[in-house]
Amino acid sequence: MFEILMYPLLFLTLFFEVFLLVSFLERRFSRPLITAIPDQYIPSVAIVIPCYDEECTVAATLASTLALEYPREKLSVFVVDDGSTDATLANVRAYMANHSSENDRVHIIAKENGGKHTAMNVALAETHAKFIGCLDADSIVASDGLKKVMPIFAHQAIAAVTPGIHVREPSTLWQHLQNVEYRLSVFNRFIFAGLGSAFITPGPFSIFRTNVVRELGGWRYGHSTEDMEMALRIQEAGHLIANAPQAVVHTATPSTLRRLFRQRVRWTYGWLRNAVDYKHMFGNWRYGNLGIIILPAAIISIFSGMYFFTRIVLMGLNGAYSMYERYYYAGFHSKFNFDPFYINTSALWVLVWVSIIMILVLISVGSSVGTGRRTPPASTPLFLLFYSLLAPLWLFAAVFRAIFKTGVRWR
Amino acid sequence: MPQDPVVNTRSARWSSYLMAFAITALIFATALYVSNYFNNRRIADIQSTQDKISIDILSLETQFELLAQHSCRDISENSVLSTEIQPLAQRLSYLETQSNVNQDELSQLKRYYSLLQIKDLLLMQHVAAKCKLKPVFILYFYSNKGDCEDCEEQGYVLTGLSEKYPQLRIYSFDYNLGLSALRTMIDINNVQDNLPALVINDRPYYGLHDIEEIEKILPQLAMLKKATSTRSTTTQSR
Repeated sequence: MFEILMYPLLFLTLFFEVFLLVSFLERRFSRPLITAIPDQYIPSVAIVIPCYDEECTVAATLASTLALEYPREKLSVFVVDDGSTDATLANVRAYMANHSSENDRVHIIAKENGGKHTAMNVALAETHAKFIGCLDADSIVASDGLKKVMPIFAHQAIAAVTPGIHVREPSTLWQHLQNVEYRLSVFNRFIFAGLGSAFITPGPFSIFRTNVVRELGGWRYGHSTEDMEMALRIQEAGHLIANAPQAVVHTATPSTLRRLFRQRVRWTYGWLRNAVDYKHMFGNWRYGNLGIIILPAAIISIFSGMYFFTRIVLMGLNGAYSMYERYYYAGFHSKFNFDPFYINTSALWVLVWVSIIMILVLISVGSSVGTGRRTPPASTPLFLLFYSLLAPLWLFAAVFRAIFKTGVRWR
Repeated sequence: MPQDPVVNTRSARWSSYLMAFAITALIFATALYVSNYFNNRRIADIQSTQDKISIDILSLETQFELLAQHSCRDISENSVLSTEIQPLAQRLSYLETQSNVNQDELSQLKRYYSLLQIKDLLLMQHVAAKCKLKPVFILYFYSNKGDCEDCEEQGYVLTGLSEKYPQLRIYSFDYNLGLSALRTMIDINNVQDNLPALVINDRPYYGLHDIEEIEKILPQLAMLKKATSTRSTTTQSR
């Protein structure tokens, strides 16, 4: 049974990679839905910065928001402190004391801790702006970010626009690995939007049409992943979600494996639980590409990741045991003779290599879409080597938690 | 250049699905072709060695005849099994683990290899008798049918032993190969279907034996020159 799954899963994995690339190439040769972006479309916008224990980063986030190149009277900012236990609120107030000229458009709200969705809903209730955006308090938006996003809303069918998200000042090994992963995400977000199938509106600088959010009932808990839940609800209601990779946001990412693990367990857990809540969309032709391919592929990728990880671990253990036995019975032989005869050229290995090359191409395209340069980050080889072994660790943990509905912590 | 903002309707793109399916199927077909191509190259490589084996067999037979008419000086003291053929067992063993390999061709190659070993053994025994030498050799019988739990470990032991004593001759045979000459040898040595089996000094030993145990059973090993450096070749096929 275990063996039988290998080739079908490999076929599905490759098929999905090929499909994304084909869609990307087709898009380049076909007429896009939006053929003209107006130069002038400057409706009122409220940017919400929900924060919980972000004393180190919130001031920089607020500063980047106030520096957005957008008519001053059209942009308001809501800093919603969700019951922080550190100096987040004090730091925001200190920042505003030094920038008192901005007081008229910055609203500071302090509330009891209730989760990110409640912070967003407080601002939603307060604002009169036509558009509302979220900017996580650990992210920094480029000054032209809003200018790149807002004209897209001139198309009335579009309910939300997501940005191009990049890792902020990667320094540790784990952040460099995420830097590569985020390039892949830039590509995915881009092509999913091109297929009308974006199913996440990430916390760093996704902008929404306020009336649509209100019609849909505001943000929900969404199993600690309110950004996925909101996107799925928008899709369910038949609205479009666009992507503007030129609207650049840099976000802080976990610096240690422990923090990365915790974040990814939360993301994957939230995705799985939301997938159950929105299971009626899976395989449903009414939702087009999203229902037929994108959502099923997103679920299959979790299980194929776990499957291939298990196979690799079993192969590794088997190889290690053979080496131990060889050493135990025959002693250690240090002489090494390279013989091309023994190079593994099985169909499985050829397909694995093709799959790795495809991922490299997707990262390169993601780099091109996100930065204008095709060169992938220098840490790409490390990503290709280790990430497929790393990711299944949180996949297993998240699947376990999702099955037993244990819930997840933000931190 | 950075890409434009992107959005589109989500209506199913059947043409893209079909194209992606066709490309993926093509990639799979290519992978199978490539794998098959390299396996055929390997078979061809072994077949070329097989040609050498045929020549060696002929050479062996000629040496048998020469032996009757010439003195011991003219007979090579070294194994007739050429060093080129030594890694063949490992290669055959590797091919046995690969899918998409023609099992009939593989079995035929193994038969040739076994035949050469039997010929070499016979010649060595003739040379020993004529020239009053005391050859040190081990016959090893294994099975690849999954009915021999300790065969893999015994293979490691014999590899270690051949590394330790490069002059030791180890002849390895697949018990189930179905070669009449091999069957005759099994009968002559009275080897039962209880594998792994070693025949040392005309006596069969069953079950796993480690290096120390074999050294005790075969004290002549002490007279062989020990390896000064490690070697990685082996003569047993698993």
